[in-house]
Amino acid sequence: MKGVFILKLEIGNFHVEDIRFGDSTEFNDGILTINKDEALQVVKEDRHITDADIKIVKPGDQVRLVPVKEAIEPRYRMDEGPLFPGVTGNLQQVGDGMTVALKGTSVLVVGKHWGGFQDGLIDMAGEGAKYTYFSQLKNIVLVADTDEEFEKREQQKKNKALRWAGMRLAEYIGRSVSNQDPDEIEEFELDPITKRDTDISELPGVVLVMQPQTQMEEDGYNALNYGWNANHMLPTLMHPNEVLDGAMISGSFMPCSSKWSTYDFQNFNLIKRLYEEHGETVNFLGVIMSNLNVALEQKERSAQFVANIASNLGAEAAIVAEEGYGNPDADYIACLVALEDAGIKTVGVSNEATGRDGESQPLVSLDPKADALVSTGNVSELIKLPPMETVIGELEALARDGLSGGWEDDEELGSSVKEDGSIVMENNSMFCGDGVAGWSTKTMKEF
Amino acid sequence: MSNKAVVYINQFFGQIGGEEAADHEPEVRDGVAGAAQAIAPNFDGEIVKTVICGDNYMSSNQDKAVAKILGELEDVDFDIFFAGPAFQAGRYGNACGAIGKAVKEEFNVPVVSSMNVENPGVDMFKKHIYIFPGGHSAAKMRDDAKKMAEFGNKLLNEEGPFLAEEEGFYKRGIRHQYFLPDETPAADRAIDMLLKKINGEEYQSELPIPEQDLVEIAPAIQDLSSTKIALVTSGGIVPVENPDKIQSASATRWGKYNIAGQDKLENRASNKYKTIHAGYDPAAADADPNRVVPLDALRKYQEEGRIGEIHDYFYSTVGTGTTEGEAARMGAEIAGELLEANVQAVILTST
Repeated sequence: MKGVFILKLEIGNFHVEDIRFGDSTEFNDGILTINKDEALQVVKEDRHITDADIKIVKPGDQVRLVPVKEAIEPRYRMDEGPLFPGVTGNLQQVGDGMTVALKGTSVLVVGKHWGGFQDGLIDMAGEGAKYTYFSQLKNIVLVADTDEEFEKREQQKKNKALRWAGMRLAEYIGRSVSNQDPDEIEEFELDPITKRDTDISELPGVVLVMQPQTQMEEDGYNALNYGWNANHMLPTLMHPNEVLDGAMISGSFMPCSSKWSTYDFQNFNLIKRLYEEHGETVNFLGVIMSNLNVALEQKERSAQFVANIASNLGAEAAIVAEEGYGNPDADYIACLVALEDAGIKTVGVSNEATGRDGESQPLVSLDPKADALVSTGNVSELIKLPPMETVIGELEALARDGLSGGWEDDEELGSSVKEDGSIVMENNSMFCGDGVAGWSTKTMKEF
Repeated sequence: MSNKAVVYINQFFGQIGGEEAADHEPEVRDGVAGAAQAIAPNFDGEIVKTVICGDNYMSSNQDKAVAKILGELEDVDFDIFFAGPAFQAGRYGNACGAIGKAVKEEFNVPVVSSMNVENPGVDMFKKHIYIFPGGHSAAKMRDDAKKMAEFGNKLLNEEGPFLAEEEGFYKRGIRHQYFLPDETPAADRAIDMLLKKINGEEYQSELPIPEQDLVEIAPAIQDLSSTKIALVTSGGIVPVENPDKIQSASATRWGKYNIAGQDKLENRASNKYKTIHAGYDPAAADADPNRVVPLDALRKYQEEGRIGEIHDYFYSTVGTGTTEGEAARMGAEIAGELLEANVQAVILTST
């Protein structure tokens, strides 16, 4: 199609088989070597980072990580633009051109001491490993402290210095493969919606509606869209490639099992699955990037915008994914209902909150029109785990710092953290444990 | 060591008599008696006691009957409790449910029953004990008792989890997360469900929307000038030291705080009140707790004679992640106190 600008994203994948420390940061034959000193210099470019170390953890290691704040896939943009435009550098269009990625690995950002409501836990081995996708990855762990005294004892933390350090580190590591040929190239390309071949445009049109977490009024906590606080936007049409290629970064607010980390946005499984179906069973029309709000009118306004955009695109069906639970269930159900009312067949993906006993109402808001829901876990499921040989971060944070699934004292269960290092917690604090991006192998059943 | 069971049956199935014996007081016999024999052949263990009680006696003297049976079972060593099958017999179903629930709570053993779907005991007790769908009448005795016995064996000998859809007992509204054995990721499940929905094929929602337990809105109060009003919040406003250690999310505790003689709630900076709620931005509530617990506005109304009186305490808990079950319990506890204090209206603020 001449004269029409089309986003064509190529993700050049390098499969990481092992990670080690060494003299230079490089990638050879599946082995990623990291020069720790150099990597730490990148981390410490921000003077707010007061203390930092990097560790490597792999599936099966007897390691517990807490408080985990963020996960980012190491990548590098071959046009040398910033990995996260509007966040780590100038604004530019993403979702086009070549981005290289180190697969099977993530940069995990862990607080050396202090955690918060939004932070989580990862066990790399044992019973706890099954609760999070990130135990399956070889992880480059940045464990660091900052001078952000204003929020040291606050339950809600922006985690700005740490999260931004993680993004710099992911880009620094990603650069190591910039001069090599990837193991494979994934291509993501969609013709403009109105210019598609008949055999595709006659298939049922499907949109993916994403509801990232944006419920904090103050800046610094919400998911960002090209650096823009997504609380301050109305739902908008985006190319799926933009989401996969760094347009979105995770916020720092939601109870952790509900969180979509930046890694989740970069690899959003629902987007990849819709790409697979595109041209076969559906006509993938794109992503409607919505948000989650506080006031009822805001919730209704967003739902109305989503349904209207979907209708105008001629969508016959939609998938809605919600980052969060509790209050934002109202946004989720409102959006599902608005789409159904517009005649669009809709499936929802979210977790539930049925309580430790499993007896509570699964979502805050319910409607019989939400008749096709995928459930990815129970945020308040009680999880007991034995001690782990090594803790990276500070185990006490789980009990002390108000993590959403931890507590200092409970009549029946005592503290979340026991003297022998064993823990009792709610699923709430499993890092991105409910895999709403599409990873979750959990569902909800009647017992 | 073999498993030990206790079986509960009514006067009819205990071969004491029909309707004329329905006032029969509970008795506990050694070993298998009456229709407990229907359970025995399929139960992998020993039936150590059979409890027999008249249906009328249980329904008109339930507390007494339950207390007596619990008392007699106190020294009995048993691992599981079977009640019924009760078929479509309403009073019998109620009796099986009532004693089953009490036994489960007192002795912490699993309880298994069987009732026809029309039996009112199903809805009353399916949450508390395992109830299997059963026949209309005793013609189905053998089948229904077999289901109970076989599930009892499973409960005692296998690890679980025991899912309603696989085992066949009535769904209990108890939902837990479950790792799919075939590890199908959520994205695949969503696409599969979407394609089926598009194509008009049958699919199963993983969250069937349950029936809603809605509370009717009370009629408006005609004259507020003589009404005593209390302030209650799920917005987490507490004295800065959080004396009741109310949790910041998934709360199970509430507190009450004396506001007698206060014009307004002083803020966090004055070291008086703050919010511990972790589900919203605390800045505004910390700066002025009255925006969550509007004592200042209510005092003005009181001065102007628009309302009668403000209750001396406000009540507080945290709503984020707090389960419906815990919220209902706390609400009932707080309502009890308010009724005792003759409070006639409540301003309930959420966040």
